[in-house]
Amino acid sequence: MDASEVEFLAEKETVKIIPNFSLDKIYLIGGDLGPFNPGLPVDVPVWLALNLKQRQKCRIVPPAWMDVDKLEEMRDLERKEDTFTPVPSPYYMELTKLLLNFASDNIPKADEIRTLVKDIWDTRIAKLRLSADSFISQLEAHAKLDNLTLMEINTIRAFLLDSLNCLYKLRSNQHPGSSKGQFADF
Amino acid sequence: MDTQSYLPVKPGVGMEENFLSLDDILLSHERLPIRTECSFPRLGFLEKSSDSHDIPEGTKMELPLWLSKGLYEKKRRVLSVELPKVYREGWRTVFNADPNVVDLHKMGPYYYGLGSQMLHFDSPENPEIAQTLLQTFIGRFRRNMDSSQNAYNEDTSALVERLDCLEKALFSSGQSGLNSFQSWEKGRASQLTASSLVLNYRKRKINDLQP
Repeated sequence: MDASEVEFLAEKETVKIIPNFSLDKIYLIGGDLGPFNPGLPVDVPVWLALNLKQRQKCRIVPPAWMDVDKLEEMRDLERKEDTFTPVPSPYYMELTKLLLNFASDNIPKADEIRTLVKDIWDTRIAKLRLSADSFISQLEAHAKLDNLTLMEINTIRAFLLDSLNCLYKLRSNQHPGSSKGQFADF
Repeated sequence: MDTQSYLPVKPGVGMEENFLSLDDILLSHERLPIRTECSFPRLGFLEKSSDSHDIPEGTKMELPLWLSKGLYEKKRRVLSVELPKVYREGWRTVFNADPNVVDLHKMGPYYYGLGSQMLHFDSPENPEIAQTLLQTFIGRFRRNMDSSQNAYNEDTSALVERLDCLEKALFSSGQSGLNSFQSWEKGRASQLTASSLVLNYRKRKINDLQP
């Protein structure tokens, strides 16, 4: 899976905007949006919010978790705990990047938020590697991926799956009777 | 995005080989020390060191893996295969002590593949060999993972030069994950680029086609 595909999925998340135009309800396959009235907040998917924002037709209200105090609290908790802590949004990394790139004028303290989210991400990736290593070294057969987001899984997926395949083959060497007999390729 | 003009077949790693895998074809040419258990008439040309027509019983020589695998049989003893040095007791102790210090590229470069293939020749040390292969892989896993996930935009040749071919493949898949994430983060993923197939494409000249 490509990182841009994960970003595409993240664009389905909803975000609140304050439009400066008026439009009746619009009917889309994914659901009805609107009606849009100037000054009244309305929930729309991120892809639409960014499109309207780029055309200067709305103001984006940042999600409640995109706040310096809350993120600092989250970062400290993430550093303290050994396990993964629940994240405010399953697409926190993608949404931060999208909203900060296109609507940084609507988000207070954009630079601090960017740094904090990056800190949280780095802590979680370090934990992910640590747990992958202990998963391999203890020869575990299954693991629970609680509170991990798609983007985090995606960065390690190719490497971990290939390693687990090799590990499986090397483990099955120890019990040659269980595989398909000798010289099966002749 | 890594697009290739063909999809390479991955090596089989375990006791079975993948017929179409280039790595496994190269692996089957590794030479093994063997001892003949009966005489091979008129095959003296296989053994470069002597001029005789036949290979007498009890000769020590080297044969490639594919040939020794074909000739080896449990009931009719045609030849016996000796373990290569790296899979013997002495080296196994080294691998069990600290697998990270060993230069597997020099030892192999198909350390895991050849080790798994050695299990075909019923040696009494088979369980220990399989165990050492597994422990070596596990012991080297962390370093391989960290180096492949952290080396961004730098020269990786120093990191991969001590890796076995199998670990090199893992390293490059770790790098592809890192690179795709980094290029997304920098906003490079949204730009369209020419496919590597098109870049490599060269107009055919009529002179190349006609001898």
